[in-house]
Amino acid sequence: MSGAALAAPIEFERASRWYGPVIALNDVTARIEPGVIGLLGPNGAGKSTFLKLAAGQLRPSQGEVRVLGRPGWGSPEIFHRVGLCPEADAFWDGFTGIQFLTSLLRLTGFDDAECRRRAEAALDLVDLLPAKDRKIGGYSKGMRQRVKLAQALAHEPEVLLLDEPLTGMDPVNRRRVTDLVKRLGKAGRTVLVSSHILYEVESMTRRVLLINNGRILAEGDVREIRDLMDEHPHTVSLRAKDPRAIARAVVGQPHVISLAFGDEGEWLTVQTAKPDEFYGALLEIADSAGVREMYSPDEDLQSVFKYLVPK
Amino acid sequence: MTPPPVALAASESKPQLGFWRGLRGVYDIALEGMVWSRRSLLMAVMLSLPVVFALLYRYALVARLPAKIRGFDLYGVVIALFYIRNALPLAALFYAVSLIADEVEDKTITYFFTRPISRASILFGKFAAYVVTTLTLTLPATVVTFFLLTTARGTAEISAAAPHLFRDMAVIALTLIVYGALFMLFGVALRRPVIPGLLFLFVWELLALLPGYLPRFTLTAYLRSLVPHRPPDEGLAEVFGQTLPLGLSLGTLGILLAVFLGLAYGIFSRRDYVLEQ
Repeated sequence: MSGAALAAPIEFERASRWYGPVIALNDVTARIEPGVIGLLGPNGAGKSTFLKLAAGQLRPSQGEVRVLGRPGWGSPEIFHRVGLCPEADAFWDGFTGIQFLTSLLRLTGFDDAECRRRAEAALDLVDLLPAKDRKIGGYSKGMRQRVKLAQALAHEPEVLLLDEPLTGMDPVNRRRVTDLVKRLGKAGRTVLVSSHILYEVESMTRRVLLINNGRILAEGDVREIRDLMDEHPHTVSLRAKDPRAIARAVVGQPHVISLAFGDEGEWLTVQTAKPDEFYGALLEIADSAGVREMYSPDEDLQSVFKYLVPK
Repeated sequence: MTPPPVALAASESKPQLGFWRGLRGVYDIALEGMVWSRRSLLMAVMLSLPVVFALLYRYALVARLPAKIRGFDLYGVVIALFYIRNALPLAALFYAVSLIADEVEDKTITYFFTRPISRASILFGKFAAYVVTTLTLTLPATVVTFFLLTTARGTAEISAAAPHLFRDMAVIALTLIVYGALFMLFGVALRRPVIPGLLFLFVWELLALLPGYLPRFTLTAYLRSLVPHRPPDEGLAEVFGQTLPLGLSLGTLGILLAVFLGLAYGIFSRRDYVLEQ
């Protein structure tokens, strides 16, 4: 291949990955250019495999994956310039937030003072500086998600791979992380964000790679998919201190189709026809209602894929 | 809040961190997790049992037992029977098989794999943490046991016995290192390594008690040949007097150690463990 053809930070060249008889990624060719790009697909579509191949965590069964001009697999030196926020909620729970980051920064080659400085800056960036000396085992789900993001950012990588980064975050921190991702993209970093929630991706970028059944279906503008999505109600589940306050605030709005309270009294599930309006309304009352976690099941996107991909 | 310095220029290509620097970083992380684990608490209790026995002997039994049962002889039994044959291999099994397996199961291996360090640094950094942790748990207990037992009837025998203590400590270290390397190999190669490890310890290693060449296929035969203490209940081995030459034992253990570590590294460097998650 010529040097010009290898210019993109991440390149998949006819890459496939199978696990025994299961094909997780099938003959994928893609070039990820600088900026933010969403990797969008339902659960089991192959998003995580795509990201793990890009992060050198898996070896392609066939084809080639190159990151910053080097093979993703077996090139640890790329991790001076690549950061990964993995999907798994996995930590050394006995570590404090600051200890977790400084330990990993030391493995990236920084001296102790620089590790400390970078760790604090990264924790500040995700609003965890006040909790830096607490053990990660005692963090909430959203805090754990943010500390995971902080470790991916702390060494200021050129390529950032984020696997479902907003999972479990409250609306305020979602906004904060979304803004951060957009800033990184504008500054010329390559940010690949995977999600099964269209509205999450749309809040960060308009460029998406659509993936399903291990194949890239399309690359393009998220709005085209959005038009299709509007035909389907969007479901959001929230855990809050006062879910009834949220219900009261949104129940009269015309886009809200249904509301349901969870068994433990902390959960509220909302179906809405206009997610943007719902998220806007939610942001206004998120603090007072004490929203702690929020997620959206992927049924909506699944239905769009069914629509997009004829049997 | 300071915004991230996103306008940073694209950094130039840097090589991966040197082996020792990477190893040191992994060692620090692994040691932190190992020292304060429930596993270490359990092992500390098990490896300190000789101290309890020594205290019991010194303060309750010594006056009732005949003088021909010397404290140093009991210390020899502790080293050869308790530590070398049973407790240390067991400690090695429970620590070393999980060095990599736990990281894979907990999905924290990803944090090591996404740093500019070699897989050799990861594997040997974890192994170094295991060796330091188990030695920290074992050697103080050995020294305390030695002094409690050998001075129970006075300090007369301590000067003659002291050189044995240093030799025993070296053999303890070698036992932990060799068994640790073997079980680390089990841990990187097998999905469920504990049962094969137990079978190795409590079935295969019994070959050491048989006559002929069979003991040479065990680790324990070489390790026991390095300690001068001969416990009284060694069955057929006692009858046939199996003690392998010092040079042969050290040489064989050295070769086996290199083979175990080399194989463990060979497997670890090629496998994509993320798949197993």
